[in-house]
Amino acid sequence: MTCAEIHPAALRVVIIAATLLVWEFAARRFGDPLFISPPSRVAAALFGLAHQREILAAVGLTCWELIVAFVFSVVIGLAVGLIVGLSRFTRGSLYPVILLFYAVPQATILPLFVLAFGIGPASKIAFGVSHGIFPVILTVVAGARNIEPVLITTARSMGANRRQILTSVIFPHMVPSFFTGLRLGMTAVLFGVLLAELYVSQSGVGHFTTEFTQTFQPQNLFALIAVLAAIAVTLNELCRWAESRFTRWHA
Amino acid sequence: MKRLRFAERLVQVGFVAAVLLAWQIATTRGHLSPLFLPPLVSVYRDFVSLLASGKFWPDLRTTLYELALGFVIAAVAGTVIGYAVSRSGYSVKIFDPLFAGLYAIPAILLFPLYVLFFGIGPGSKIAMGATIAFFPVVLSTIAGLSYVNRSYVTAARSMGASPPQMFWSVMLPAALPVLLTGLRMGLILAFLSILGTETISSFSGLGHRIVELGENLDTSNMFAYILFVIAIALLLNAGLSFAEARWKEPPA
Amino acid sequence: MTQTTPAIRVEGVTRAYGAEGDRLRVVALEDTSLSVARGELLALIGPSGCGKSTLLNLMGGLAEPASGQVWIDGERIRAPLPRKVAFVFQETALFPWRTVLENLKLGMAFQGVPKEQRYSRARESLNAVGLADFADHYPAQLSGGMKQRAQLARALALQTDILLMDEPFAALDEQTRMVLGEDLSVLLARTGKTIVFVTHSLIEAVFLADRVAVFTARPGRIKTIIPVNEPHPRSRSFMTSEKLSRLRNQIYELLHDEIRRTIADSPTLDTSAAKPLYTLRDPQK
Repeated sequence: MTCAEIHPAALRVVIIAATLLVWEFAARRFGDPLFISPPSRVAAALFGLAHQREILAAVGLTCWELIVAFVFSVVIGLAVGLIVGLSRFTRGSLYPVILLFYAVPQATILPLFVLAFGIGPASKIAFGVSHGIFPVILTVVAGARNIEPVLITTARSMGANRRQILTSVIFPHMVPSFFTGLRLGMTAVLFGVLLAELYVSQSGVGHFTTEFTQTFQPQNLFALIAVLAAIAVTLNELCRWAESRFTRWHA
Repeated sequence: MKRLRFAERLVQVGFVAAVLLAWQIATTRGHLSPLFLPPLVSVYRDFVSLLASGKFWPDLRTTLYELALGFVIAAVAGTVIGYAVSRSGYSVKIFDPLFAGLYAIPAILLFPLYVLFFGIGPGSKIAMGATIAFFPVVLSTIAGLSYVNRSYVTAARSMGASPPQMFWSVMLPAALPVLLTGLRMGLILAFLSILGTETISSFSGLGHRIVELGENLDTSNMFAYILFVIAIALLLNAGLSFAEARWKEPPA
Repeated sequence: MTQTTPAIRVEGVTRAYGAEGDRLRVVALEDTSLSVARGELLALIGPSGCGKSTLLNLMGGLAEPASGQVWIDGERIRAPLPRKVAFVFQETALFPWRTVLENLKLGMAFQGVPKEQRYSRARESLNAVGLADFADHYPAQLSGGMKQRAQLARALALQTDILLMDEPFAALDEQTRMVLGEDLSVLLARTGKTIVFVTHSLIEAVFLADRVAVFTARPGRIKTIIPVNEPHPRSRSFMTSEKLSRLRNQIYELLHDEIRRTIADSPTLDTSAAKPLYTLRDPQK
């Protein structure tokens, strides 16, 4: 079998496995255990952490925050997106205002969120929503805006009234953009919620990451991050699957 | 048409005015503690004095330094690796999904690790910025170089272009728009995540300053700094759009 | 290389996509032989997918035949010969990031023309096609007809003996085509190059060419070659003459069944469509 005939996915697995092996070897041989941990020890730490009630609770709470923030982002984003996107006037007047808000680097107002909502889940969810609504709004407005006029003209020539055009032409046309917005919104929510979690070191996941960092326990830190990363990837994949599933007819 | 534009402008101005008015009312008449939402006047005063005194320089310098270094590392690594991968269809099929998959992991999760390795100084922020900016750059480099319109390549080949000529005179210019988009995305993401991570754990920089002022309950100055960072962000965005427009479109 | 050596000679070439025995195998061109005399203008016409573009690419060394051979000026070729053969493509292959003048200069740089000569040759070619005033425009600022004229100018600037054109006017509307066809005839008569061009338009083929090679449906081979004995440059009166109509009708009769057969065929592998080699990854994902 020549090199070109090995299936790329198989080769990817080999590359990942090789990376893990190199990491394992290098960490054991050269790594300072205060800073680096070989994957085997990380895996062991994973089992250890799984038995600690507080850590499970923190991770579970983070999941909950992510899902709630996502749902709110979608609902609010869709509502605002529709209100703004469906009328040319609102598109011209309100949309630039939304873009102005979008341009604000929200990381700077994170302390304000915590001041306002406290150190519990509310601030994390709020910060996540504040990040997540924008991709949804933007893609919904784009979807409403991008309709080829010929489609609407055709519908009208066949006698469709305003409501029918809305439900049978405009809404279906906006579905692919909406699902793209969902995927991008999930990425934004992940950023917002996780940033807030890491910031608040008094409770939640941030408490443990701070603790593991300050007490030089790389194996626990790696393990915790790996779990959160896995959750993030799963959520992202779900959104990506949804996007491809519901946009099959789109170019 | 002109009346429409005027009406739109009116709504926008009205919106902003309403927000400012609500702020003013809430702080002077309402029940909000000035520690949470300082009065508009106070923020304005502090903002002006901040600009005049130039007290922002050390923190601005730190943040910009972290951004510049992190971005340059990501840009160089991303374009070089992206170029190497794009050389063969096979390597694209192997590595592109790999990078795309890694990109799906929220990079800020790595920040605690970087703090462990580099401490709470600029090093961890530079590493953070570099990591997060790397992916859009490498992915767009791969996409831009592998997706050059075939007719350009065929035409150049028919005219006898040598491999270096093919790369520098055909593939690179053709891929440039996509490349620049990736670089711009990388810069913006790096800026946002550096600000965010300065907020979490740092001893200098704009993000850190804001948090510090908040913790000391000096909310008026905190808001002044927030306004300052917003202004910097808007400047950065505007500069990027301008640069991108000039690079992408030939002068009409 | 004698006076009677054909400029281009093709002997028994076959080109196929897909391996032998592959269910999806498509034979674009089968066992085709052809000679093009020096200074001749040959048109290749046939239904879609009949291999005429493939034959053109083989003639110019852009592709290699699965079997058979190609000679240019008596020499066997396997790779592009930029000094002898210039192409004009159907889709605009002008580099959009450069002006028209810079496009011409770049083409000459690829071919290896010394720097000092490039500007004057570019100017000359632009004058010949009537684009002298648009030298500093970008392709995006030109109409379809002007873009193709710019491509032609680029090919002319390379000063090759042979010019291969793949449906150069396909993207243009019929009216523009007719007028450009007249200009082309005048221009090409002046240059004395050997020209092979692919077209779908029967009128264009008869109006411009010395001989018209009519192709069968896929797998393509040459059905007949029809001579058009008419001096160059072709005039407007030839366009409306009875002779042109007669030849056009003759070609139509030959083509009609082949076209029917092509339409009835279910498409298996569309080799003419530009397909991306790799899956596009959205860099913003």
